[in-house]
Amino acid sequence: MDKWLLKFVMLFRGLFIRQGVDTDLMLTIVETKLLMDKRRVSMNWTRKGQKESERPLGKVLGMYVLFGFFISALILALPFIPAMIILHGYILFMMAMTLISDFSSVLLDTTDNQVILPRPVSDRTLFMARLVHILIYLLQFTIALSILPLGCTIYKAGLLIGIVLVLTILLTVLLTVFITFLLYMLVLRFVKEEKLREIITYFQIFMTVIFTLGFQILPRLIDFEGLSSSFRLHAWSYYLPPVWMALTLDAVGSRQIDSLHLLMILSAVLLPLFTFWLLIRYLVPSFTRKLAAVSNGSGVTGKVKGIPEAGGKARRKWYPSVFLSRLVCSNRTERGAFEITWKITGRDKGFRLQFYPGMAYILVFLFLFVLKGGSNIAQSWALLPSTKNYLWFIYLPLFTIGNSISIVAFNESYQASWIYYSTPVAGPGALVWGSIKALFVKYFMSCYLLLLALSWYIWGWKIAGHFAFGLLNNLLCFLIFANLSDHWLPFSRQPGIQQQAGKFVTILFQFLLVGFLVGIHYLVLHLPWVMIALSPLLALACWLLIKELQGLPWEKIVT
Amino acid sequence: MSVIRLQGLKKQYAGTYVLKGIDLEFEKGQVVGYIGPNGAGKSTTIKILTGIIPDFEGEGTVLGMDLRQHPLEIKQRIGYIPEQAALYETLTPNEFLHFVGRLYRMDEADFKGKAREQLQIFELGDRADTRMNGFSKGMKQKVLLISGLIHNPEIIFLDEPLSGLDANAVILVKEILLQLKRTGKTIFYSSHIMDVVEKISDRIIIINKGEIIADGDFESLKASAHQSSLETIFTSLTGEEQHQSTAGQFVNILEN
Repeated sequence: MDKWLLKFVMLFRGLFIRQGVDTDLMLTIVETKLLMDKRRVSMNWTRKGQKESERPLGKVLGMYVLFGFFISALILALPFIPAMIILHGYILFMMAMTLISDFSSVLLDTTDNQVILPRPVSDRTLFMARLVHILIYLLQFTIALSILPLGCTIYKAGLLIGIVLVLTILLTVLLTVFITFLLYMLVLRFVKEEKLREIITYFQIFMTVIFTLGFQILPRLIDFEGLSSSFRLHAWSYYLPPVWMALTLDAVGSRQIDSLHLLMILSAVLLPLFTFWLLIRYLVPSFTRKLAAVSNGSGVTGKVKGIPEAGGKARRKWYPSVFLSRLVCSNRTERGAFEITWKITGRDKGFRLQFYPGMAYILVFLFLFVLKGGSNIAQSWALLPSTKNYLWFIYLPLFTIGNSISIVAFNESYQASWIYYSTPVAGPGALVWGSIKALFVKYFMSCYLLLLALSWYIWGWKIAGHFAFGLLNNLLCFLIFANLSDHWLPFSRQPGIQQQAGKFVTILFQFLLVGFLVGIHYLVLHLPWVMIALSPLLALACWLLIKELQGLPWEKIVT
Repeated sequence: MSVIRLQGLKKQYAGTYVLKGIDLEFEKGQVVGYIGPNGAGKSTTIKILTGIIPDFEGEGTVLGMDLRQHPLEIKQRIGYIPEQAALYETLTPNEFLHFVGRLYRMDEADFKGKAREQLQIFELGDRADTRMNGFSKGMKQKVLLISGLIHNPEIIFLDEPLSGLDANAVILVKEILLQLKRTGKTIFYSSHIMDVVEKISDRIIIINKGEIIADGDFESLKASAHQSSLETIFTSLTGEEQHQSTAGQFVNILEN
C-alpha cells in the first residue's frame, strides 16, 4: 500500500520541485524509511502486549480496520452530521496519537544526524522527506481506519458524499500533521537547546492529555434530544476541525450554502494550507539546525545538576527517597532498590513518557465520572456531597498506577542490570519488593493523599474510614498485580521489545478483581462493623503477598 | 593549495565555548591525526568541517569552498565516518549502502558492485542481506567505513574509526588508511589509540579544552616536548602528569 501512496504523493512532484526539493533524493529517503517502518513495531502497540510477528505493521493495520468497523456502526445508527463529526474526530484523535507516540522519535530522529547530514542532501529535501514519510505512514492507518466507514457513508448518503468524504478525511489528516508539526517546531524554535529533550517529554505528555480530553469532550458537544434525529451544536464547537469537515459534507449533501456552511468549508480547506505555508515559510529553515543541536548539545553542557559546588563543604542534598527508604525498608538491598526506583522513575524520559500521561488521565476521568451527574458543572459540584462518588476517588488511581509495575522494568540502559548479578544479592525478592514499594509509596500514596484531602473537603471526616479501608483494598490489589505479572528486575528490559502474549487475560483478571473488591466496598458501605472485621483479613492477605514477593526465587525472574 | 582551512573557528553550546578559536590549514595528501582528551572538541571540529553542524563562528573552507555557502558541494566530495556505530540497524548492509549510494547520486550499477565487493573483502559477504541489529560493533564499523568511502571522496574524515574494532581489524583499517594516502587522499581523523596515530600520521594536532596546543609531525613534537612517545607527549601537554600519584591515591582509598 505504501508504494501506491508514495506514487500518489509523487503526483505533486512539481510542487516539491518548486519548493527547492530534490525529489529523487526525497524518494530514496522516504522509501528507505518506509522499509524500516515495516520492520519496526509501532510504539502504540508494544506496550499493550502483543507478540512480535513477521508483519507487525500489517497486524496493527488490521486493528485499525476493526476500529473502523465500530465507527461504521455509529454511522449507520446516528444522524448524518453527528456521525461525521465523530468519524472525523476519531480520525483526528487516532492520527494525532500515532503521530505523538510513534513520530516524536521519527521527527527528532538523531540517527539521521550521523547518516544523512554528512551526505549532500539539502535541509529542505530532508525536511520534506520526513514530512512525506510521516504522511504516508499515517495515510496507511487512515485508509485502514476509514475504509469501512467510507463504505457505509456511500451506502447511506451516496457516491458524491463519499468522494467529498475522502477529501475531508485527507484534509483532516493533513491538518493534524501540520498542526502537530507546527507545535513541535514552535517548541523547537523557542526552547533552549539543552532543555529540549526535557521539554519535549512534557510536551508529549501534554499533547496526549489534550487530545484525549478533546476526544472525550467532543461527543458531549452534541446535544441529542432523545433518540430523534434532531440535535444542536454548542456555539463553540464551530472551532473544532471535525465540525468543519462534517458541515462541509452537509453542505454538499443538502446543496445548502449559507454563510455558516461557507465559513466551515473555507476553514476546512484553507486552514490546512495556511498551516502548511507557516511551516515552510518560518520554521523549516531552523529545523535541521536545531536537530543537529539536539544530539550534539546534549553531551556537552558543562554544568550538571546535582554536582556540588567546588570548594567549601559539599552539603548533602536532602532526598525524600533516602529519607523514606529508612522508614519503610527492612534491609539494605531493599533500600537500594527503593531508592534507585524512586530516583530513576523521576528522571528517565522513557518512564515519564509512558507513565505520566496516565496520571493525567486520573484527573480527566475524575472530572468525567464525578461531575457528570448534573446538567452543568456548578450543579454537579453542589450535588456531590450527597453522592457516594468518593468511591471513584478511592479506586481510580489504582489502574494507572498499577501500570507502573510493568513499565518500571523498561529502561534505555537496561544493560546496566548486570549489577544485580555481579553483586552478592541473596535473592531477587528484595529488589523486586523494594522497587514495587517505591512505586506504591511515590505514586500511589501521594495521589491517594491528595484525593483524600479533596474528599475530606467535599464530604467531611466521615469518609476517612472508607479511605483507610480502601487503602488496604488498594494495597492488596497492587500486590496481587505485582505477584501476577511477570517478574522483572527493575530497569532490566530493553524498551521496544514486546511483552508476552496472554497479557490481555491478565488485564481482564485485574479488572474483575478490582471490580470485585470495589463491589465489596460498595456493599459494606453502610455496615462499618463489617469493614472493621474485614480489615485484619485484608491486612493478613497483604502480609502473605509481601512475604511471597520477598521470597521470590531467581528462577521466577524473567531475563 | 590548502584543502582545508579554518580561521578562528569557535563554537559554543549553552554559553560555554567548546572550541575557542581553531586555526588549521592543511595540504592535499596529508594524513592528519587529531588527538585530545574527552570533551576537547575533536568531534565538534570534525562535525563542523563535514557540514553536520552548520552553526559556528569564524571562517572555514574545504576544497576551496566556503562551508556556509556550498555545504552540498563539499559533502559530495568528502567522506565522513562517525564514531558510534550510527547507522540504520533495521536495514541490511546492502540496503544501507545502496541507500547511501543513492544519496550521493551515484550510478546504480556502480555502488551496487562496490558495496558487494567491499563487503566481501571485509568478510561480511555472507551477511550482506541480514539485518544489522544483530551485528557486533566491529561489523557495523566496517559497514560505516564502506559507506563513508563508497563515493571515492577526496577528503576523508574519521571520528574514532578504530573504536570497537578487534586487533586484526585495527591493523586492516590502519593499512587501508595508508593505502588511501598513497592514492592522494587527504585524511583527517581523531583517535585515542596513540601508537596508530604515531605510525600513520604525517602531522599530529593535539587539542585541549577547545584550543590547539601542539601541531607538527611526530619528530618535531618529540623534540619540542622532550618526550619519546606520543603517549608521554600527550600527557605532558594536556597537563595530566600526575597519573602515578592519582592511581596511588585511588588504590589507597580502597584499602582503607
